[in-house]
Amino acid sequence: MRAFWRGVVAALLAASCLAPGTASAQDVIKIGGLAPLSPPGGVETGQSLRDGMMVAVNDLNASGGLLGKKVELVVEDTSGVPDKGVAAFERLVTKEGVVAINGCAHSAVCMAIGPLAERHNIPFVADECWADDVTGAQIPQIFRLTVANSLVYTVASDWVKAAGFKNIAIIGENSDWGLGVIDVFKRNLEQTGAKVTSFTAERTVSDFTPQLLQLKSMSPRPDLLIAGFTGAGLLQMLRQAYDLGFAPTKETAVFAAGADALEPEFWKVMGRDGVHVIANPAGLPGKPDTPLSRRFATEYEKLAGRPANSVAMEGYDGVMVIAEAIKAAGSTKADDIAAALRKLRWEGTRGTVFFSQDKSPKWMYQQWPKVPIFVIQYTEPDQLPEKAAILWPKDQATTDKLLMKP
Amino acid sequence: MSLTDLTGQLVNGLVISVFYALTALGLSLIFGVLRIVNFAHGELYMMGGFAYYVAASVAGIPPVAAVLAASAAVFLLGALLERLLIAPIHDGKVDRPDEYAIMITFALSILLQSLMLSVFGPWSKRPEPIFRGRVELGTLIISGDRLAAAVVGALVIAGTILVLQYTRAGKAVRAVSQDREAAEVLGVDVRLVGMLAFGIGAALAGAAGALMGPVFNVTPTMGIIPVIKAYVIVVLGGLGSMRGAILGALILGEVEVLAMVLIPDTTRALAYKDAYGLALLVLVLLFRPQGLFGTAGRRA
Repeated sequence: MRAFWRGVVAALLAASCLAPGTASAQDVIKIGGLAPLSPPGGVETGQSLRDGMMVAVNDLNASGGLLGKKVELVVEDTSGVPDKGVAAFERLVTKEGVVAINGCAHSAVCMAIGPLAERHNIPFVADECWADDVTGAQIPQIFRLTVANSLVYTVASDWVKAAGFKNIAIIGENSDWGLGVIDVFKRNLEQTGAKVTSFTAERTVSDFTPQLLQLKSMSPRPDLLIAGFTGAGLLQMLRQAYDLGFAPTKETAVFAAGADALEPEFWKVMGRDGVHVIANPAGLPGKPDTPLSRRFATEYEKLAGRPANSVAMEGYDGVMVIAEAIKAAGSTKADDIAAALRKLRWEGTRGTVFFSQDKSPKWMYQQWPKVPIFVIQYTEPDQLPEKAAILWPKDQATTDKLLMKP
Repeated sequence: MSLTDLTGQLVNGLVISVFYALTALGLSLIFGVLRIVNFAHGELYMMGGFAYYVAASVAGIPPVAAVLAASAAVFLLGALLERLLIAPIHDGKVDRPDEYAIMITFALSILLQSLMLSVFGPWSKRPEPIFRGRVELGTLIISGDRLAAAVVGALVIAGTILVLQYTRAGKAVRAVSQDREAAEVLGVDVRLVGMLAFGIGAALAGAAGALMGPVFNVTPTMGIIPVIKAYVIVVLGGLGSMRGAILGALILGEVEVLAMVLIPDTTRALAYKDAYGLALLVLVLLFRPQGLFGTAGRRA
């Protein structure tokens, strides 16, 4: 009798250990997500990325999952800090067993993760990491679904040239991305004879008043201020520039390079004074106007309770390109996913996604070269980016003017 | 640089100095009376920011009243924390008082930060300032929100000094700060004074957070940088010295602003903003290790 009970207990233990765990591990494909969800990272950016990814996973599971399995999204917070990003990446790979990773934001974090992706051989689709070196390192596992600094700010520089700015001031954060903003604008604008003055600052700086006062008293006064900051720093700089009567004014326009100018929090900080600020989204909801982009915008708003933006679209597209690669490869092996990503052509929310295999310039390797880039200017308080006036590129502009002055 | 530009920078430095002084005064007061370095001081500053946000933006209380309400709330929080966590040091209930003070205030800082992160989320809050707009004095333009906050801050500092100087409670606080044992022998309730000092110190930090919140946004991490500045100021001015804290704040505020615009390579000036104060601190400590108004030989 004792042997009987011992057998029953052993069988129950074995069943409890094996049944759910083993079955779920076999029936689920895990995709990793990285996003800055706490300060000092750009939290609004992180939330948009994460929520975009969640819409994608819901879509995938609603249409039967991948290779007959459910898809599970595991998101880790990076805080926008390289050390935390590295730890989050390690957790996703070693603890969660994800097959590929998407997201990130903050170039410094993306660049810290690059060598890990190579070491663990995990495909990594980078979103919201704009520094050239993210793909410039030419790591075979790294793909980029957003712009590179050289791509986006060359387009923005074309607008600066066309608008006729002659005396440009840039305040950039002391990060790979911020220094890249300064570098690309300088490279593109100085050859045109424009004067470009740049300032760098720590990401933790909250008071830009001394520098803004100095710029305001310069002779000639800058006609364009480029705010090369992300997170709370960007919003503080914009607020202080307005409060000091520096920009946006008739004399000085302001161009917000960081994605935080596209989030609803921008209006909470700026209020009515955010009108005439110029921003630079890498994509706009409804452009191109396809059934997918419309459906995404609706589902995103339902899930997140806020309107979709380019960052959310990146999060969605990032998960979907990984899913498309898994489908095409019929496998979840890293090498198969990476090979399928290299051959991929997929209609996403922002156009046809493919990853260039050109190695010159360096940043072009495994970069989506056709990321839609816009220069927009807010014309009303609480305006959504897609409702703002498109100033550039010229063929998509919604106004004749290259700049609207207060 | 023209005289108007220089004046603009000096005024901005003065405004920043007021905020620095408020935070540093509280830290100095707590050290003076309780002989502990409060590592949670930045979080009390942050609590003031959130209390102001709740009072002004959620409850709809007018801004100046909201600053007072926030300061009062942080005073009560400080008094409660002192009674629960700090008083055991002086009651002889703790074996290693110095280590305990460091650990308990450090743990408190993490707890308060995490608590606010859970309750309010990581998003920046921008409560309504005391005054929105620009103040134009000839060609000089000053942001109205920070100027109004600085005026209220200066009044709070003046009020605190008057209370410490002329009221019975203030005299008791100063007496304990000068000699705890002697004050006790002369009948001062040192436990009550300890609670009062921590409460006032916390309220000063809370007032600074409430005034700065609408200027620099309210977030759970908003206290990290200001408290570092406060440490620099109290060491610069002399640990436990009120005069030192005010003068130290004035020096730091002006040095930071002027160094940024006067150093030859202005393009890198903002990147080294926090270094100017530390360089100044090292310089002062080389010649006066006790700080500008500190007493040589005082326990640190």
